[in-house]
Amino acid sequence: MHFLFRPSAAVTLAVTLLAGCSGTAPVTTGSRASGADPASGTVRYAAPGSPSNAVTDPHGMLPGESDVVRMALTYDVLTLPGADGSTRPRLATAWQPDASLTRWRITIRDDATFSDGRPVKAADALFSLRRMGRKAAENFGRMAMFDLDRSKVIDDTGFELVTRKPYAEVGKALEGATFVVPEGSDDFGKPVAGSGPFRPTGKGGAQAVLFERNDDWWGPKPPAKAIEVRAVPDPQARAQALLSGQVDLAGGVPATLVRQHEDNSAVRVVRRPGATLYPLVMRMDAEPFDDRRVREAVRLALDRKQLLDTVFLGYGELGNDLITPKDPSSPADLPQRVRDVTRAKALMAEAGLAGGIDLTLHSTTAYPGMDTAATLISQQLADIGIRAEVRLEPPDTYFSAVYARKPFYLGYLGGIPFLDVVRVTLTAGSPTNETAWRDRAWSADLDRALAEPDEAERRSRLGELQARLRDHGGYAVWALSDRLDLARAGLSGIPEGIGFAAAFIDQVRLDG
Amino acid sequence: MRRLPRGRATAVPRPARALVRSGLLLAAASAVIFLCTAALPGDAADVLGGRAAPEDVARLRAEHGLDRAPHVRYLDWLSGMLTGEPGVSLITGRPVAELIAQRAPVTLFLAMAALAVSVPLMAALAWAAVRGPRRLRPVVNAVVVAGAALPQAVVVAALVASLSAAWRLFPPVSMLPAGVPPWQRPDLLALPVLSLALPTAAYGTVLLRGAVADVVARPYVRDAELRGLRPVTVLLRYVLPVVAAPATRLLAVVLGGLVAGTAVAETMFGVAGLGELLVTAVATRDVPVVQAVALLAAAVVVAGMLAADLVAPSADPRTGLKAAGS
Repeated sequence: MHFLFRPSAAVTLAVTLLAGCSGTAPVTTGSRASGADPASGTVRYAAPGSPSNAVTDPHGMLPGESDVVRMALTYDVLTLPGADGSTRPRLATAWQPDASLTRWRITIRDDATFSDGRPVKAADALFSLRRMGRKAAENFGRMAMFDLDRSKVIDDTGFELVTRKPYAEVGKALEGATFVVPEGSDDFGKPVAGSGPFRPTGKGGAQAVLFERNDDWWGPKPPAKAIEVRAVPDPQARAQALLSGQVDLAGGVPATLVRQHEDNSAVRVVRRPGATLYPLVMRMDAEPFDDRRVREAVRLALDRKQLLDTVFLGYGELGNDLITPKDPSSPADLPQRVRDVTRAKALMAEAGLAGGIDLTLHSTTAYPGMDTAATLISQQLADIGIRAEVRLEPPDTYFSAVYARKPFYLGYLGGIPFLDVVRVTLTAGSPTNETAWRDRAWSADLDRALAEPDEAERRSRLGELQARLRDHGGYAVWALSDRLDLARAGLSGIPEGIGFAAAFIDQVRLDG
Repeated sequence: MRRLPRGRATAVPRPARALVRSGLLLAAASAVIFLCTAALPGDAADVLGGRAAPEDVARLRAEHGLDRAPHVRYLDWLSGMLTGEPGVSLITGRPVAELIAQRAPVTLFLAMAALAVSVPLMAALAWAAVRGPRRLRPVVNAVVVAGAALPQAVVVAALVASLSAAWRLFPPVSMLPAGVPPWQRPDLLALPVLSLALPTAAYGTVLLRGAVADVVARPYVRDAELRGLRPVTVLLRYVLPVVAAPATRLLAVVLGGLVAGTAVAETMFGVAGLGELLVTAVATRDVPVVQAVALLAAAVVVAGMLAADLVAPSADPRTGLKAAGS
């Protein structure tokens, strides 16, 4: 989950370097480098991430998207997020609760085998979840809802997963990151057998890793014989690699380049709506944001259209202060919040701040446009008397020195489901409760919603909780940015969706 | 790096003195590197745990031994380096030796190729700045000073814009295919090599032209010129031997800079090398990796200087004459 919550240092490096290079883009130079060879059946992917931070342990910190992509090729996960936000089976075929919603029987496939020939058993799956539980500090407590000590293996294909409270969203909790490794694996310095759709070959090293199709995989046969995954920190370099024919898919490319190539028939632009947002974080236990009227005034002072057009070059959509607008439970019928300076000024006066106030707004250059956004927000807030001085912090210390410490800053969220955000930032006592959200009634209603077995009813209650958070909480979500990928025209089978959904590329195919 | 007074040379042989001095230099460099990494704000536990609960971060810190006293960590690291075990990365858990071994070929290739391009260029520019046509000298001087001062990112952008975007000579990025050694794809690495070589040549010229000017002003060179010897003969017989020692030292420093200073070019061209490794490791406070790469660069510089010290006597015609006469 790491890569969705905060940037790896490599990304930050890439972005700081971006300023220097904005050269024009040549289209498919005729050199040897452009010799994509469909006959060899290798699809080459330049993914965001850093070759220096490439990890081999699937259960700890996954600093870059390239790490998740490599894990998703090598190992099977229990469930998968669908493009529409629903949960899809993968290694787990069923997850059935008892009446109390605290004991879940998870059934896994009986036809999956590790690359060393051993069958994948329930004991391997539970071992992997327990290992994730032990590494809670490095994976943002992904297994926090489970009591793994009381969970137990039932037979070769079934295990019982015990939750700490009634928890109806177990399928969702097992999405994406639950990479299953053979029981007992703990040293990932050497290759560990996986049961995923591809297998890493010894070929490659720091530059790129070559994966071969696993013809014994239980799932739909991957069209590509091989996939080459490369971590490229610089977004500009990823885009240029695609445009010069050195890769077939470039993840996370700059909007400026996409705009230049909208009409280029040799490439295809893949847009993933609502992938990232930089919420304006107001800490509710610090002045002046302990006054609800001030928080509302800030939300009313934002010119969301101007921010969207300037920061994301229009590649995105307006924010409505909902923290997870792409979650299937997010309420869709709320009116769009618009700028209302008169009302915002009145609220400031009611809060005793008619004369304005001096504040420091922290931001960084970790992600493209974060600094621009802060400057623009500061200008917009000046219209209601908030004199916000923008202070840019170094990217490599921003998420330890500013995140969840300062009262007023720009945060980062990337394609995360609502319940993950709740676990990390909206739980009283969590060290990452960045807005100091401590609403007992809200948390009690959340527990009740999670104990509701009926999905439609549960979704509607979760939606209502998000609406309350929108109006009472400490977040101002002004815009959502699309995630932009560039693909070779002949490439298909690119996964839709955001977050973990985007990392499962086993069905990509190169035609022509 | 002045040589000790010649009178003491009889007590300890010259190569031995040079070796001892290199050892001391490397030890000093290791201490400076360690102090620099220790002075960075925050540590790897902060990066790994993010804003996890303080007790979790403390546990991570203890697991990685980051809670020990600095002098204990330093001695531990030093003994590891001396026994050839530089440890494991705090962030990825992978052996530091493996991380370096995977990246050394491409970075050394870039550094050597850049050196091969910049050395002749440096010599030509230094000569042009001192002895070139009179009207050309200020131009050359201005160009090398500007070239040495340009940020590398600007050099990269300019090279990409001209040689790749406009003239389509080379690809704009350098995605080496998996498992292909760098020397098999020089076409991919041409631009990174040039973007390292051009600023290096400019910087080297700035340092070298002083030494060249100093030598050509010496009486015996003037004398040779007045005797009507051809400029090439003067250069080869009277100037080059004297400049060789400072030039070799300069090359050692430049090579060290090339080994560790490739980060900007590597990142912008998408090459996974030692420079990118160093910069990322600094950002993630991955101390064992930072220390190993930095010490490797220091070792390259020290080894180069040692080589310079050893070749200096044979290259200096005056020493040779003295030795012959004694």
